[in-house]
Amino acid sequence: MTETHDDSHDMRVKAYFSVFIALSIFTAVSFVANWAAHPERAWITPHTSFAIILGVAVVKAVLVGMIFMHLKFDWGRVYFVIIPISIMAMMMMMVLMPDIVIAWQPGQEPLEPAVSITGTR
Amino acid sequence: MTQAVHEHSEGHMGIPLPTGKVAMWLFLVTEIMFFTALIGTYIILRHGTPANSPHAWPTPHQVHLVEWIGALNTFVLICSSFTVVLAHHAAVKGDMKTVMRHIGITLALGCVFLVVKAYEYNAKFQHDILPGHIGESLPYPEKPAEGKIQLAESQAIEREKHDHPVGMQYFQRVKLQLEAIKKSSIPAELKAECEKLLDDMNPASAAAQAQAGAFRRPLNPAEVGERANEILEKAEKAGVALHLSPAIPFGNLWSSCYFAMTGFHALHVFGGLVIFVVILLMGLVGKLGPQHANMLELTGLYWHFVDIVWIFLFPLLYLV
Repeated sequence: MTETHDDSHDMRVKAYFSVFIALSIFTAVSFVANWAAHPERAWITPHTSFAIILGVAVVKAVLVGMIFMHLKFDWGRVYFVIIPISIMAMMMMMVLMPDIVIAWQPGQEPLEPAVSITGTR
Repeated sequence: MTQAVHEHSEGHMGIPLPTGKVAMWLFLVTEIMFFTALIGTYIILRHGTPANSPHAWPTPHQVHLVEWIGALNTFVLICSSFTVVLAHHAAVKGDMKTVMRHIGITLALGCVFLVVKAYEYNAKFQHDILPGHIGESLPYPEKPAEGKIQLAESQAIEREKHDHPVGMQYFQRVKLQLEAIKKSSIPAELKAECEKLLDDMNPASAAAQAQAGAFRRPLNPAEVGERANEILEKAEKAGVALHLSPAIPFGNLWSSCYFAMTGFHALHVFGGLVIFVVILLMGLVGKLGPQHANMLELTGLYWHFVDIVWIFLFPLLYLV
């Protein structure tokens, strides 16, 4: 029985160590993706680099949450606070997007024939 | 009967989690909303700036952010997350010496993070990359770079009108800085360039030239920004630290976001360090035992959350 208990502890330490190594490697991956997309090298496109870096950040956050924060074991008991807050957090950012981000900006190609702002020509 | 119902309810209702853990998760969700507001504001402001204009959001290089320093700090926080989870694991096993060792390492790593952050903040102060200190406008290039769109003249004029009050503040700031540089001991070539810029900014000098028959108008804020950037580039190559405000379009907005996000994150790191000091003190006076495993887990939850926030701040500020 004690051996089983110790084995379970050892397994957890191994899981923690594996996550630590994975997090370190993922940090290096995002750094290299940014380096490879530098205009001087341009080995990958900025969009690919952005996708890799964002994906890596999400995977890192999930690893920390699931293993280090024990959500793997506690998810069934705390999901009711995490899911609504995740939806609200996404909504908080998305509600302003149409007005600010998708809006026409000076310097963008006008959709209609150019009309002067000042009306002088 | 009432008593019986009460006991029955206590036995079967509620979440099967320690109250402290539920409270900590409730606290963490408020923190999620807090940092989402900051990060969301940054994303929206950044993507609200014209991407294909010659004047776009600053790159990390323009604002003196060094990618490897950010990556180093990320690694430091990951290490600290690992040691804090090991401390909790040791507490569950009742090995309090190992707990003390791991908490001590976590405290040291947290301090390293803050020292590196202080080093970065110092660089921002040295380069005067502070909210309200940066020149917002630069002259528009006659030929835009590939993929960039040339602003119509009317749009450029509108923008300059909009930026004029901030531009004049920048003009006055640079003037005072150049006066100070004139009195300092820097290489003669750089000093001559600074004096020339100051002279070109001075209307008296223009008036004197007008008397001589060759009128020259004083520089406008955009032209001052361009010249200041040229001087700063030369000073950097020569290894001279000049306290001269640069001109970076959207630089003030960037620095406000940077200091707000990293500043609040650093405050959270500091809060965590205070808790680790308290735990160490408890251990030193012999009051830390296996009964505190739950407290260590809650502290760990907070610390991992601080780590997750940095996991998103690092790529947003230093990489993409």
